[in-house]
Amino acid sequence: MSRTSAAQRRPSSMSRALARDRLGVPAVLFFVLAGVAPLTVAAGVIPSAYATTGLAGIPAAFIVIAVVLAFFATGYVAMTRHITNSGAFYAFIARGLGRTMGVAAALVALLSYSFLQVGLYGAFGPNAAAEAAAHFGVHAAWWAFALGAWAVITILGLLRVDITGKVLGVLLCAEISVIIAETVTGLLHPAGGQLSFATLSPAALTSAGFGTFGVLAVVAVLGFVGFEQAPVLAEEARNTRRTIPIATYLALGMIAVVYAAVSWAMAAHAGGTRVVAAAQQQGPGLLFGLGGSGVLSQAAQWLFLTSLFAAALAFHNCVWRYIFALGRENVLPAALGRTGGNNIPQAASLTQSATALAVIVLYAVAGWQPMTQLFFWLGTTGGFGVLILLALTAIAIIMFFAHDSRGESAWRRLIAPTLAAALLTGIVILAATHYSTLLGVPPGSTAAWALPASYALIAITGLAWGLILRTRRPGTYAGIGLGAHAVTGQLTPASDRSR
Amino acid sequence: MQGMSRHGVSGRAALGGTGRLADDLYLLAHHEVTGRPHLQPRAAGLGVAGGLLAELMLSGSIGLHAGQVVVAGRCPLEDAAARSVMRLVAGERGQHVAGDWLQFLSRTAADDVAFRLEQSGYLARVASRRPWRAQRWVPVDPESAFAPVLRVKLALDPSQPAAAQNVALAGLAAACGLSRHLALYLPDGAYRHIQQATGCLQPALRELIAHTQAAVDAALLSHRV
Repeated sequence: MSRTSAAQRRPSSMSRALARDRLGVPAVLFFVLAGVAPLTVAAGVIPSAYATTGLAGIPAAFIVIAVVLAFFATGYVAMTRHITNSGAFYAFIARGLGRTMGVAAALVALLSYSFLQVGLYGAFGPNAAAEAAAHFGVHAAWWAFALGAWAVITILGLLRVDITGKVLGVLLCAEISVIIAETVTGLLHPAGGQLSFATLSPAALTSAGFGTFGVLAVVAVLGFVGFEQAPVLAEEARNTRRTIPIATYLALGMIAVVYAAVSWAMAAHAGGTRVVAAAQQQGPGLLFGLGGSGVLSQAAQWLFLTSLFAAALAFHNCVWRYIFALGRENVLPAALGRTGGNNIPQAASLTQSATALAVIVLYAVAGWQPMTQLFFWLGTTGGFGVLILLALTAIAIIMFFAHDSRGESAWRRLIAPTLAAALLTGIVILAATHYSTLLGVPPGSTAAWALPASYALIAITGLAWGLILRTRRPGTYAGIGLGAHAVTGQLTPASDRSR
Repeated sequence: MQGMSRHGVSGRAALGGTGRLADDLYLLAHHEVTGRPHLQPRAAGLGVAGGLLAELMLSGSIGLHAGQVVVAGRCPLEDAAARSVMRLVAGERGQHVAGDWLQFLSRTAADDVAFRLEQSGYLARVASRRPWRAQRWVPVDPESAFAPVLRVKLALDPSQPAAAQNVALAGLAAACGLSRHLALYLPDGAYRHIQQATGCLQPALRELIAHTQAAVDAALLSHRV
């Protein structure tokens, strides 16, 4: 080999300098897990799901959905390597299924994450009120605490303050430590002295008919929301071929083990199907009670509040980023895509704050139950929206690679995405047809059809808007799905803009 | 530099600026009295990096070909910072896209340009009030530090012939997030005027402005600003 060719193969000083600044697997994994807020799921979602759905197969659902999402992630991380703005589902859908579908998906994503964000106030309010009453003698309605959290998040959003990585890291480690401690203690003290594995069995998924699998799957997907965030950092990753996939699979595995174990511990400690009645009586106390009523339980209760707050802030930031990106693309009004001083996207941030305020006030005035009807109903509906996006993205991945394999293996571009698309579509159908079970309401009640129907409505609006953009504003249409890169969209090769 | 005094540049000469785009962009991105930044550090770094590349484009030293920064000519460069960037571009094995150059240069661009402005007498280094903070730069003369706003205003006046450098300055300022700040001093519809004016620039400069905006937006969307 000649000296010249050896020199040419060495990375340049600029490449080396840029690589030093890029993120490795631990940083990306940490970013993903910090957004997952595990105690919010362990103390909030899981007990609420046991209580509301009346189903005991939640531990098995976490494991099965982790496998389905692993199939999904195979194609997802493969496509990440070939597109820009890979941090958003609608970018995948716009490239795979066309830009009109991309607009519909963008609005579905916006609604989903908004549901997830607003729902968190429904858990924070009553739990903060309970802690304040118990420890400080302060008695106030749940909505007063929810509005307090809303005000702080609104101000932090306007100051563009993310909770720093170090604070989130400490909280994350503390949350996982508490969950593990509660899990171990719960499993060491099973009901009747006999440890049962029944809730981990696949048979538990269909204990009340095949349709219950769809219901349990929505709950499990809700727990996994956040795992899809790794590609947000694709452009910052040290090695796109390795960093993002490894971080995604590690996050999936860790979330699956922690949630399956803690939900199993709750069922084992309470005793099989009695976990439903226990959850209805105790709520988040189902987790806190696993380790008795001492320091561990108290620490878990405080950390539950910080976890809910951190999750609400993380989803607030997630929603304004969607609004901002769509404003930049001119899919939403351009004013939403502008920044003020210090690069603060005030309009996008205030839009989500206004939405949250309206919902909190509505629930307070109507006297609706916050933990069930705000936190669980809107949270699971957000999870259902993410499930729809996962199914559409899986189909988009197949279509994206249909005409050009782009060097990806058949497993990554076709087989795994096809398995994921079939399973996820089936779960969406099952969940939609058993939505009343998911919400714990009688079949035919308004919430059971209105909440899932909101996605159909916004998707139709998105399709119509996409068609209008296609005919009336082709320049805007060409930039759909490009996010920050919409401004350079006209510079991309024509072959990439064929759809 | 004409009109320099011991403590800075003298009045009329100072208002004319250094004649360097990145210097004007740095001054636009900082308060004219306190020197406090109007932008997040990463956005300011990307904007000033765009300014350094734009200086070389305006002098005909570099160009953009298929999104990649290429050497266009070997014009003599008086300024050390510009020569340093030019050496990097010319010495790099293989070509890199504009986005990569912006990321690379943004790491040190703001400090390099602040140092250049200090050498020219526009900025002075002062110790921070907090001992754990590094030194910071403050403008020597608020009027000369504010003058770039007037140059942007002039560039957007449709009744005046606009210098390409000042139009590029307006475009890069908007790209890195200064349009809301500039709007305080410009007529209504400033953002639209900037878009219209930059549309008349040479394609390479337009492309560089678009890449700068994309880099700033991408940093914002990936939680890194």
